Amino acid sequence: MESGSQAADPISEARTLVTELYSPANQRQPARINEIQACLQDLQRGEYAWQIADALLTGPTTHHRFMGALTFTVKVNVSSQEVDQSMCAQVLRRLITHCVELVAQAEQAMVIRKLASSLVTLFRHSTCHVERVLWQVAASLAHGGYVDEHQARTVDFGGTLLPTLDTQSVMALLFLSVALAETTSRLDDEPVDLSGPALKRAMTNTRDGFLLVQYVLGRMSEMGAGVLDDQVRQNLASEAMGSWKAWLGVTSSRSLPEGENIHALAISCGHTVIQTLRLPGLNEIAASTLTSVIDRRRPAFDDASMWSLSQILADSIVTSHLNSLAEGDETPESMAFVDLLVAFLSHLQLKLFDEPISPEHAKILVLAHGILKAPGYAVIDDPATPRILEFWNEIAERLLDEVDSNGSKWQTIKTHLAQVVLGLFNKLLYPEAEDQAEWSDDERSEFSAFRHDVCDYLLSAYPILGVELVSVFQESATNCLQVGDWRGFEAAMFCLARLSEAVDENGHADQCLDAIFGSDAFSRLSAGGADDVPLKARQTLVDAFGKYESYFERRKPLLPGILNVLFESLNFESCAQAASRSFLTLSKSCSRALTAELPVFLDQLDHFRTKPTATSSTMPKVLEGIAAIVQKLDSDEEKVQNLERILTFFVQEANRAREEAANSGQEFACLHGHLILSCIASIGRGLRSDADEVINIDSTAEQRNDDDHRSSFWSSGPGSHAQQLIMEAMRLLIVDFPVDNNMIDAACDILKAGYTESSGLFVFPPSLTVDFIQSFPLGISGTDVIMGTASSFLASHSSHSMRIRDEAIALMRHVAQLFVSMLDQPELYDPETANACIDFYTRLVPKYYALLFSLTDPLPALPSDSAYQTSPAFAIPLHFALHALTRAEALPLRSAAAFWVTLIDLRGTSSEEIIALDQVLNQFVSPLSQNLVHQISGQCARSDLAYLGDVLRRLLFKKQGLARPAIHHALAALESRNANDSGSSSSLPSAQEKSRFLESLIVARSARQQFIEIVRTFWLKCRGMSYDYAR
Amino acid sequence: MSLCLNRLQEERKQWRRDHPFGFVAKPMRTQQATLDLKRWECAIPGKTGTLWADGLFKLELIFPDEYPTKPPKCKFTPPLFHPNVYPSGTVCLSILNEEEAWRPAITIKQILLGIQDLLNDPNPESPAQAEAYNLYKKDRPAYERRVKQVVKDNPKM
Repeated sequence: MESGSQAADPISEARTLVTELYSPANQRQPARINEIQACLQDLQRGEYAWQIADALLTGPTTHHRFMGALTFTVKVNVSSQEVDQSMCAQVLRRLITHCVELVAQAEQAMVIRKLASSLVTLFRHSTCHVERVLWQVAASLAHGGYVDEHQARTVDFGGTLLPTLDTQSVMALLFLSVALAETTSRLDDEPVDLSGPALKRAMTNTRDGFLLVQYVLGRMSEMGAGVLDDQVRQNLASEAMGSWKAWLGVTSSRSLPEGENIHALAISCGHTVIQTLRLPGLNEIAASTLTSVIDRRRPAFDDASMWSLSQILADSIVTSHLNSLAEGDETPESMAFVDLLVAFLSHLQLKLFDEPISPEHAKILVLAHGILKAPGYAVIDDPATPRILEFWNEIAERLLDEVDSNGSKWQTIKTHLAQVVLGLFNKLLYPEAEDQAEWSDDERSEFSAFRHDVCDYLLSAYPILGVELVSVFQESATNCLQVGDWRGFEAAMFCLARLSEAVDENGHADQCLDAIFGSDAFSRLSAGGADDVPLKARQTLVDAFGKYESYFERRKPLLPGILNVLFESLNFESCAQAASRSFLTLSKSCSRALTAELPVFLDQLDHFRTKPTATSSTMPKVLEGIAAIVQKLDSDEEKVQNLERILTFFVQEANRAREEAANSGQEFACLHGHLILSCIASIGRGLRSDADEVINIDSTAEQRNDDDHRSSFWSSGPGSHAQQLIMEAMRLLIVDFPVDNNMIDAACDILKAGYTESSGLFVFPPSLTVDFIQSFPLGISGTDVIMGTASSFLASHSSHSMRIRDEAIALMRHVAQLFVSMLDQPELYDPETANACIDFYTRLVPKYYALLFSLTDPLPALPSDSAYQTSPAFAIPLHFALHALTRAEALPLRSAAAFWVTLIDLRGTSSEEIIALDQVLNQFVSPLSQNLVHQISGQCARSDLAYLGDVLRRLLFKKQGLARPAIHHALAALESRNANDSGSSSSLPSAQEKSRFLESLIVARSARQQFIEIVRTFWLKCRGMSYDYAR
Repeated sequence: MSLCLNRLQEERKQWRRDHPFGFVAKPMRTQQATLDLKRWECAIPGKTGTLWADGLFKLELIFPDEYPTKPPKCKFTPPLFHPNVYPSGTVCLSILNEEEAWRPAITIKQILLGIQDLLNDPNPESPAQAEAYNLYKKDRPAYERRVKQVVKDNPKM
């Protein structure tokens, strides 16, 4: 490397490189820095690394010395194999010597830490013989030079050595202690044969680690503030507590020699940390250390320490911190105490349920309530409330399981839970606009998530607090409504909306809800006095309406007013979604009660549809709701009158969309067209008969006459004009209109709306569906939806299939034509069409097989060069499903498999039918077996095996006589295929294995799981990926 | 308490203590308003910087008695337009398949993060619904338009 300097030897070169690495001139040249680092790393790994490390450690700057310490780590790691016992001892001596010298020179922490880390790296090495490394280093530091372990252990560690160390030495020893403990914890993740001996030696240091913590924290308490520099004092305390935490990590999951003594020592350290909470300047570190230890459930406390912790938490020092928080004076110290309080409470929770609450614990609970009084918005300005909420939520959730509801403990905790509800109310208030304007999007989301967490708490508390809980919010809502306090009203309604989950259906809170919705103030609001309601309150209110559909079903007189508010709210962008959703919910569940309001609603609809808020997300919901009400009108004549009024508008709109397509662009026209078709489809959904009004299959002659009458009413009578309007709108938006996936979806929804009805506006002539399906060319996106509609159409007529015989045949032929096009011209093969069309046949086969197999003539008008010119029409889908099994595309492959399963399972109803079906199927057993074997011999994806295995199993089950030799031949052909393909058949099973495979399949043919497993093993074998299936 | 319920209690605690921003996961309530630990209602936000970013997608996690030996079933409610979500709403993801990558150590947090990743990074090798898969393969702009609509229909809280 050209370093810019003419370095004569590796040591000088390393020095120069470190100087350059930190040179300000190079800091803006990342490429140069990378180059220097690469060279330095080469040297750190090279043969002179030990000398370089020594030299750098005596270098002129901290950076040099840091790199020196690091070089030891690098070299020990890369030359691990070369480090024997004697070299290890030598390096250890050098490291300790450097450490002692640098500590004496008051070296900076970063260098000493790195030296400590290098010492630990060496300590882990398999040739290292040292055990009590902390002891040895302590003795060396006390002595001022290297002391070997044997000598070191002649002096008592805790009682004699530690008190002789100066502050710098103690700090260095703490660095080593933390590094050793943290590394020891990680040794668990490494292979035992490598880490085992090191782990054993490291654990012998546990006692020394805790003794050091105990010594340092004890000294801190004795010295008090002022003796040491504040920063030094804090650093020592922080390092000591970190060391305690790290050694607890080592001891918590292992059994140690002298385990009990060490555990007692750990607890004694914990006791000292708890006492440190009283020491100003150190209490924040102590609080966060304790929080972390409690949260991680380290075994670090006994009853006495928990008692003293509770005393301190209830003590005035901590109380004053928490009180200052409640007054809005948030400091790092106060937040650390909140965290500790929450951690302590979570720990306490285990005992809260089964012991009497002590005076200290009662005081702590008061403090926890006090935190909810902190000013500011939760999460944003007040991080404490969400944490306290978590604790109470957990209490509420567990109370039901843990405490007898007749005991006094239940009552006490219930009172606390109720107090929390009251405390939280102010925290739920939505921010003032000017406050919210300063929030980021994340802050808004977090505040919103907090409000939902509060509701989660309310639902947890409801089984305990009962309707009293609802009445709290009812009172707030009523009072706030009375005086126009909209923020308070919004918060109360928000909670009530969430509580609907617990009280809407059972009617437990009806009286509370009456007090709100039956109040004069609410009557004024619903009679048009809602103009001054702010948007947020309006949004929450309209959302709440939809949540109480059962309540409003029981209070029908309230509905017109409620729906009035909903209609008004549709005009506001932020409310339109919630308002349309609630409108739909209520108008569907209370449709019969709302018929008298229909004229008003239609006027309001006319007004709404011109607004920018009338979108594809809102308008269809409103129309579905209105249609549900129309459906409840007594006579068809009344219905048709209202429906024509709505539909005429959509035909006009469809004409406009057509003009837009011609003039202003397809995308806009398609959006418009989609809105129109979605709206019409939603009317169809709204008009559907109720699920509980069951269609009587065994209808009487009188009922059938009535049905016929109703049917002709819509198809050729007074209702036909309305039906024509829908068909006209569809024609305008489908024929010669840009093809659009979303529009296809909506149009299919229109067709499907009437499939479940016996008569009505949406029960169209069958030819409409057939024409619609035939109008789309092969390969368009949306074919799956179109073919799904075709299947639904046939399914809806399956009980009287002969009535739609011509239409069904037309559909079958149309799809068969598509198959022939794809078979004759492989470039036209479209996986979506293939999948959708095979699926169409799979669904029709069980009900329409007789019709299908009656199509014995070839398809008309096939091109003269078609390979299927003479094939009977019924055979085309079978050929295509066979073909799809040879291809790689997952969906057609799976649907083809499902098709074959359906076909093989098919049973005729007469002996003639059974024979005819057998004859058809027999012709396909051989090619089917061949295609299946081809795929399962490692060709198909693993996830397709179950589908293909199902066909194979059915074949062997139902057609064993033909299938067995066919599969045998297919397996035999496999060998020659592979030998031809690749010149090697090494991954293929032998002839004997194949024969065993076939026998296993036959044995397992009635046990699906086992069968599939055999197929999977065969597939793996063919791919050369796994074990031998036969062993 | 069974292993399954113990583990779910622990998952609940872990989730409370630490969960990714914007995600929701909590046990459902029975009609008596008590918790049903074996059915969780969850919500996954779309990842920032992706088409899914502004949406929040609800799903149910249904835990079998054999959990955590067997994985939970994850089902979008309502079913989501996505190539790897079955028409029933069930998510098709290797870490949720007992025969593939499921391990008992996988947490609810990891499952939900895995599903979040899947939203914008579908696996075309494992199609679960024809509609989204075909559009994804055939007409990416139309797929993206549809995703935008799905996001619009499932806005964040």
